[in-house]
Amino acid sequence: MLKKFDKKDEESGGGSNPFQHLEKSAVLQEARVFNETPINPRKCAHILTKILYLINQGEHLGVMEATEAFFAMTRLFQSNDPTLRRMCYLTIKKMSSIAEDVIIVTSSLTKDMTGKDDNYRGPAVRALYQITDSTMLQAIERYMKQAIVDKVPSVSSSALVSSLHLLKTSFDVVKRWVNEAQEAASSDNIMVQYHALGLLYHIRKNDRLAVNKMLSKFTRHGLKSPFAYCLMIRIASKLLEEEAGSRDSPLFDFIESCLRNKHEMVVYEAASAIVNLPNCTAKELAPAVSVLQLFCSSPKAALRYAAVRTLNKVAMKHPSAVTACNLDLENLVTDSNRSIATLAITTLLKTGSESSIDRLMKQISSFMSEISDEFKVVVVQAINALCQKYPRKHAVLMNFLFTMLREEGGFEYKRAIVDCIISIIEENSESKETGLSHLCEFIEDCEFTVLATRILHLLGQEGPKTNNPSKYIRFIYNRVVLEHEEVRAGAVSALAKFGAQNEEMLPSILVLLKRCVMDDDNEVRDRATFYLNVLEQKQKALNAGYILNGLTVSIPGLERALHQYTLEPSEKPFDLKSVPLATAPIVEQRAENVPVAVAKQPEKVAATRQEIFQEQLGAIPEFRGLGPLFKSSPEPVALTELETEYVVRCTKHTFVSHMVFQFDCTNTLNDQILENVTVQMEPTEGYEVMGYIPAKSLVYNQPGTCYTLVALSEEDPTAEECGSGGDVSFAFASPAAVACTFSCMMKFTVKDCDPNTGETDDEGYEDEYVLEDLEVTVADHIQRVLKPNFGAAWDEVGDEYEKEETFTLSAIKTLEEAVSNIVKFLGMQPCERSDKVPDNKNSHTLYLAGVFRGGHDLLLRARLLLTDTVTMQVTARSAEELPVDVIMASVG
Amino acid sequence: MLALVARVLEWLRSLFWKEEMELTLVGLQYSGKTTLLTVLASGQFTEDMIPTVGFNMRKITKGNVTIKVWDIGGQPRFRSMWERYCRGVNAVVYMVDAADLEKVEASKNELHSLIDKPQLHGIPVLVLGNKRDLPGALDEKQLIEKLNLSAIQDREICCYSISCKEKDNIGKLLFLIASSLCTLDQMFGNINDI
Repeated sequence: MLKKFDKKDEESGGGSNPFQHLEKSAVLQEARVFNETPINPRKCAHILTKILYLINQGEHLGVMEATEAFFAMTRLFQSNDPTLRRMCYLTIKKMSSIAEDVIIVTSSLTKDMTGKDDNYRGPAVRALYQITDSTMLQAIERYMKQAIVDKVPSVSSSALVSSLHLLKTSFDVVKRWVNEAQEAASSDNIMVQYHALGLLYHIRKNDRLAVNKMLSKFTRHGLKSPFAYCLMIRIASKLLEEEAGSRDSPLFDFIESCLRNKHEMVVYEAASAIVNLPNCTAKELAPAVSVLQLFCSSPKAALRYAAVRTLNKVAMKHPSAVTACNLDLENLVTDSNRSIATLAITTLLKTGSESSIDRLMKQISSFMSEISDEFKVVVVQAINALCQKYPRKHAVLMNFLFTMLREEGGFEYKRAIVDCIISIIEENSESKETGLSHLCEFIEDCEFTVLATRILHLLGQEGPKTNNPSKYIRFIYNRVVLEHEEVRAGAVSALAKFGAQNEEMLPSILVLLKRCVMDDDNEVRDRATFYLNVLEQKQKALNAGYILNGLTVSIPGLERALHQYTLEPSEKPFDLKSVPLATAPIVEQRAENVPVAVAKQPEKVAATRQEIFQEQLGAIPEFRGLGPLFKSSPEPVALTELETEYVVRCTKHTFVSHMVFQFDCTNTLNDQILENVTVQMEPTEGYEVMGYIPAKSLVYNQPGTCYTLVALSEEDPTAEECGSGGDVSFAFASPAAVACTFSCMMKFTVKDCDPNTGETDDEGYEDEYVLEDLEVTVADHIQRVLKPNFGAAWDEVGDEYEKEETFTLSAIKTLEEAVSNIVKFLGMQPCERSDKVPDNKNSHTLYLAGVFRGGHDLLLRARLLLTDTVTMQVTARSAEELPVDVIMASVG
Repeated sequence: MLALVARVLEWLRSLFWKEEMELTLVGLQYSGKTTLLTVLASGQFTEDMIPTVGFNMRKITKGNVTIKVWDIGGQPRFRSMWERYCRGVNAVVYMVDAADLEKVEASKNELHSLIDKPQLHGIPVLVLGNKRDLPGALDEKQLIEKLNLSAIQDREICCYSISCKEKDNIGKLLFLIASSLCTLDQMFGNINDI
C-alpha cells in the first residue's frame, strides 16, 4: 500500500523519473537478453538498473523468477565491461537474499577479488560476503585473509567491513583473522585503520580485558585516522559507563586528551562523550564545555549545530555548567540557520535567569512558523522545563503554548504541547482554571482523536473540583453532538464524572445522558446506559466504585479469565478478585529537567511481564493449585556478586496463601555442568517450605530456572478463610511473619566437562554454594493500585476496620525523604499526586492505595508533620481487618 | 577513446569471425574440468587445482574460432545448477574420471539425469574419459558400456579418452573442435574416426 502512495506522489511531482511505469514481468522478460551473444553491455546494464530499481521500490520477486534472473545475470561475467561488471556486483548483493543457489558466482567473484583490476577487487569482496554462508566460508577464508592485508586501501577496507558482517554468522571463523586485522590496523590509510579497529573491537568486545589492552596499546602508539579516534572514544566511554564511578582511570584521561586533538571531529566526539557520561561532575565537564563553546563561533554551520545541540543536552542536567557559554549562545539566537537558533534559544531558556524569559519567548515566536515540527517539540520541552523551574511564569508560558496549540502542526507536536499543559496543570493549581478552559477551546477543533479523548478524561477528573464546573459541560456535550464515536464515548464518561461528584448538576447530567442513550454507536450507548443507571441509584459508594475509580485489574488478564469462565460454565458467578491486578505504572520521579513523555511505556510492559510469569508458573503442575498470581516482584534480586562462578537472581511471586521464589541461575564455568539444581531456603516463623522444583541441568552460560514453593503458615492473618474470632487475634501475635529474611543455599551435582567438546564425565559429586539472604517485605504482599479519586475510595471502604497510630520517624529530616521512604517501604501507590511535597510547608498528607494479597483494597493516609524530626499519623482502612493490622504492625 | 577503438575492433572481428561456439563443461568433482580448460587455453598442465566453487568462464581462440566454455563446479551442491548453463549451448562436454572406478556409477547417474531434462533435448553430448595415463583407466569401449551411452538415442553422442597430464589426444581434440566450423555432426563423426 505504502508503495502505491509513493508512486502517486512521484507522478504528481513532475514525472521526470524514467523508471516510473516499470512492470516487473516486462523487466524480467527483458532480462532474457542476458543469454544472448554477443553481450550488449549498455543494454544489459540498463536492464540491471531496472531490476535494482524494482527491488528497491519494494517490489516482491518470487524465488523462482529471482533465481531465473540471477542465473541469467551470471552470464554477464563473460563481458569485461567495467560498468556492467559493477552493476553485476550490485545485483548480486541485492538478490543474494532473494534468489537461490547464489553461491554459483563464488568462483567468479574470488577471481575478481584476486585479479589485477583494483576497481573490481573491493566491490567483489563486498559482493562475495553477501553470498557466503557459514558452510562456504572455509572455502574463501584464505582469500579474505589475503584481502585484509592487501596494500590497496579499498580492497583492505572492503575485506574488513565484510569480515565485520560475517562476524554475526560465523564468529569462530572470523576471529581467526585477528592477526591480519592487527596488521591492517597499522595501515597508513585512515579508512583501513578505522575499519580494522572496528573489526578488532567487535571480535574482542565480550572480553573486557582484551578491549582494555587494545585501547591502551593504541593510545600509546597513537593513530592516524580521526575516525579510529572517534571509535576509540566511544569504546572508552562505554567501558567507563560499565565501570561506573572511577573517573581517574586512564580511559578518562584518554578521552580528555582527545579534546586537544587536531581534528575537530575527534574533539567533538570527546566532548560529547564526556557530556554523556553518567554522574559527571562540574569539574570534569568544564573542559568539554569550553571546547563546545569554541565551536559555537565556528564558521562551519555543522559544527555550530553540533555544539549547540550538545550544550542543549548538557543544560538539562547541568544548567550551571552551560551558563559560561550564554554570551556565545546569545549570538547564535540570530543565526541564519533556524535549527541552530532554536537550539540556542531553548538552551538559553534552560540556563538563563527568570528575567530573560519574556525576551527570549518573544524572539522565538518571531520565527516559530519557520521551523520544523521536530524543533517545535524541542521548544515545547524547554517550556515545560521552565514551568517547573519558575512556576510564577506560568501565565506567560501558558499563553505561548496556547498560541502554538492554535497553529498548524502535526500530531507529535500537538501531543507535546498537550502533555506540557497537562503537566503544568498538575504541578500548579493556580493555572488549573485557565489551562482547562484553553484545552476546552482546543478540543472544539481538534483533529486528533487521541488528544481529544485524553483532554476529555482530564476534564472529567479535574473539572468537577473547580469553582464553576458547569461551564465545562457545554464543551463536553458539544463533543457528544459533533464528534465521531470514540470521542463521543469519552465525552459521556466525562459527563458521568461530573454527575457523580456534583449533586446540583446531577439532574441536568441525567437529562444529557438520557439523550446519549439513543446514540448510533454501541459503545457510546452502553456507557450512557451504564452511567445513567449507576447515577440514578444516588449512592456515593456506587459512584466511587464504578464511575470515579475504574477497574484495577489488568485488561488482558480479565479477558483471559472471562474466556476461561465461558469455556467452563459454572453456577458460581464470575469473581473479579480472581483476575490479576494491573500493575499501576510506576511514575518515576522525573529527573529535574527531563522533558515529559517519559513514563508512558512501562504500563504495558509491566502488565505483560506478569502475564508471562503467570503462564510460566501455570505450566508447572506443582503450582496449579495456587490460584491466580497476585504479584511478581518488579526487579529480580541478585543473590550473588555479578562475576562469581554462578550467578543467581531471584524473582518473588506472591499467591493468595503461598509464595514461589523463582531463581534464575547461570553457570559461568565452562568446564562444569550442574545438575539437579535447587535452592534450599531456611524459613523463619510463619513460613513453611513446601517443595523444590529443581533445574535439571545448567550448561555453561545458559540460564536455567529452579523454584522454591513456600506456604504462608496457617496462623498467618492473611490466609484465605481468615474468619473472625480467636484465630485472628492469635495471628496478630506474629505479624512479623509477613516480612522476614530467608537464608539461601544452592545445592547441585557437579559434573566436569571438556570446555571444547562439551563431553561430560559420568561421575558427578554433590556440592553447595551459599547465596546471600533473601528478604520478603510487606511490599511483596501488596499490589500498588492507582485510585484516581482517593476521597471517594476512602469513603467507599468505610471506617469499619479503621486503625490509627502515631509514629516518630527520628532518622528522617525532610518531608520528601519521609514520603519516598514510606512509598518504597510499603510498595503502595501514591494517589492524588500526594507524593509531591509542596515547597516551604511543614506538614503534608500522603495518600496511598493498594490491594492486599487476597484481593482486599487497602488505603492508607499518612499525615506528616515536620518539626525537628518527622511525626507521622497513619490511618489505614480496608474492607477486612487483617490487612490493616499487618500494615500497622509493619510500619511500627 | 581506447574503449571506442576496442569496440570498433570487436565489431570488425565479429564480422569476420562469426564462428563462435559455446560449450558447457560438466562432470563430477575432481574429474579434471578446470584442468582441461587451462590446458586448452594455455597449454599448461597444473597439478594442484582448487575445487571450483561456482563456475569459470573462458574464451579460447584457436584460428578463427572462438570457443566460449562454461566450466561448472562438480560438487554435489552445484549439480542441480548444471542444467541452467547447458541450455542453448552448442554442446555439453561431460567429463569422467576414467581411473576412478568407484565413481563411474555416480557419474553415469548424473549424466543421465542431466540429459533427461526436457530443456536440453537434442543438445549433442561429448563424453570425455580423463586420466587415461593412470593405470587401470577405462578405455572408450569400457566407458561406453559403463556409462550406458548406447541407451542415448535422441542426440549426437560420442565418447573419447584423453589425458590432460600427458596432453594425450588433447591436440586432436583441439583440432577437431577448432576445425569444426562445419557442422557439429561432422565434428563428432571425425572423433569417432580417429
